[in-house]
Amino acid sequence: MGRVLQKCRFLKNIKYHKIMKKTAENNEPRLPFSASNPTKIILESISDGVFTVDREWRITSFNRAAEEIMGIDRREAIGRLCSEVFRSSMCEVDCALRCTLETGAPIINRSAFIVDARGRRIPISLSTALLRNEKGQVIGGAETFRDLSLVEELRKELEGRFQAGDLVSRSASMRRIFDVLPQVAASDSTVLIQGETGTGKELLARTLHNLSPRAIKPFIAINCGALPDTLLESELFGYKAGAFTGADRDKPGRFALAEGGTMFLDEIAEVSPALQVRLLRVLQERVYEPLGGTISIKANVRIIAATNRNLEVQVKKGLFRQDLYYRINVVRMELPPLRKRKEDIPLLVDHFISRFNRTQGKSISGVSSQVMAFLMAYDYPGNIRELENIIEYAFVLCNQGLIEPCHLPDEFVARDLLPPRSGEIATAIRAVEAQTIRQALQRNHFNRLATARELGIHKSTLFRKIKSLGISLPERDGRYRG
Amino acid sequence: MFPMRTALAIWNGRISPVFDVSRQILLLDIENGTIVAKSSQRLDEHDPVRRAARLSEMGVETLLCGAISKPLANLLTAYGIKIISFIAGNVEEVISAYLAGDLPNPTMVMPGCRIRCRKLRN
Repeated sequence: MGRVLQKCRFLKNIKYHKIMKKTAENNEPRLPFSASNPTKIILESISDGVFTVDREWRITSFNRAAEEIMGIDRREAIGRLCSEVFRSSMCEVDCALRCTLETGAPIINRSAFIVDARGRRIPISLSTALLRNEKGQVIGGAETFRDLSLVEELRKELEGRFQAGDLVSRSASMRRIFDVLPQVAASDSTVLIQGETGTGKELLARTLHNLSPRAIKPFIAINCGALPDTLLESELFGYKAGAFTGADRDKPGRFALAEGGTMFLDEIAEVSPALQVRLLRVLQERVYEPLGGTISIKANVRIIAATNRNLEVQVKKGLFRQDLYYRINVVRMELPPLRKRKEDIPLLVDHFISRFNRTQGKSISGVSSQVMAFLMAYDYPGNIRELENIIEYAFVLCNQGLIEPCHLPDEFVARDLLPPRSGEIATAIRAVEAQTIRQALQRNHFNRLATARELGIHKSTLFRKIKSLGISLPERDGRYRG
Repeated sequence: MFPMRTALAIWNGRISPVFDVSRQILLLDIENGTIVAKSSQRLDEHDPVRRAARLSEMGVETLLCGAISKPLANLLTAYGIKIISFIAGNVEEVISAYLAGDLPNPTMVMPGCRIRCRKLRN
């Protein structure tokens, strides 16, 4: 034991001498601590940044960790104004040191960020205290700060939560979209959003608009598939009085309404070939003519188009103009279906519950584990919109507490599909297992071999599970052909 | 010929330490090396995209500021705004140096940024 202590003392001495040597090399006569002061040694060896200021807000000492975190040599820092060295988000309006010097009260663990010499935003937590001389007079203040970059990274990793506007997701595929969202929004390029119905194409378009420099101008959405061709044309471009029977006065089109803003053309694949030509002209030349009009009108509109079809296939089939496709497909964003990002379901459920609580004035705390198990097992052909509808329906029947299976829509209340009411995890797992097998069987027209392959299990395991879970099979199934 | 518009992020008579959270900018319209108009504007946008868009809407061509985070600097560049960043000093002195074509200047640079300053000058 004695030998261990001796070794520790020896190592401590080496560390002390190394620090002293470095200090001597750095030539710091202005440091308030004398070389023999153990406080100095402690300050040099800790991993928290520490600096002190005088009453004129000029740096009087700057420890090794502060040098490392900020990327600033202490010889450059000492004597400079602390705001120009520390560069924190709090300097201008909420300076913690100023608060401590004015009130005498220390501040502990306040969150902020600093910008280092390389332009990196470093999240920190900081604490402040008064600095007194031997007579107890206040001679300035001391600030300690801790680099939280790693903590922040781990927190994000753990939480895995990313949100942009109303878009919520923790899936990797959506994260890729979130990463490029600000740059895509800032550009004025035409965007093509592809994704199945209900995946949030309009929501993504709105988010792009809201993050763009055009945010203060209108966002106009039109569903190209919902209107007959002639009506769509007059809706988009407007008309002049006398253009057709009943047109007794000029009417501005959606392009005019969206001037300076963003036009969202949903279901672009449904546009007729004739109208595709007119849209192409707007995209190419940024001009259009209202129906019955002779003068071209300039259109300062950013276009975001969306479709649930594969436009490349439509082009190959000759149903969509190739030149228009290339004009639209400048930046393409693919929204994955909900069944491919099921990790988002709990997050989306929370999101919808908090939104409906807010809009409907209710205080529903969440969904029961049985309902969550059911929601996780479902395939959502209608994607996020379908999930939203399920939660909205449950809000009608449930007033407070947890959403239970009895609050779900009738079409889902095939009781044998739902987990039993007991809260045991094993029964919930069995119910989810049964539901997954049932859906896989349906997808494979009750062909057991194909189902087993899809589920990644052996066919005899599938047979055993079908039997033990009591899954009923139709009389005619995938084994019969013709 | 239109005057060139330059913005300075300011705070307490000095260049604001962090542009990401600066609350005030000084707009200078400069023609033939002379200031022809000067006005002060509040900057309430905290979202980087909106902050960049606001400067662009105001017709700012050059921004003189203190520390600035890389994502915000990239956004401003995307909007076509030239940035002279990590400047420290009294506003009037910085304006004089800028008009004299003497920015970036090693005497008006934040600590730790001398290398950046050298690179910009070269």
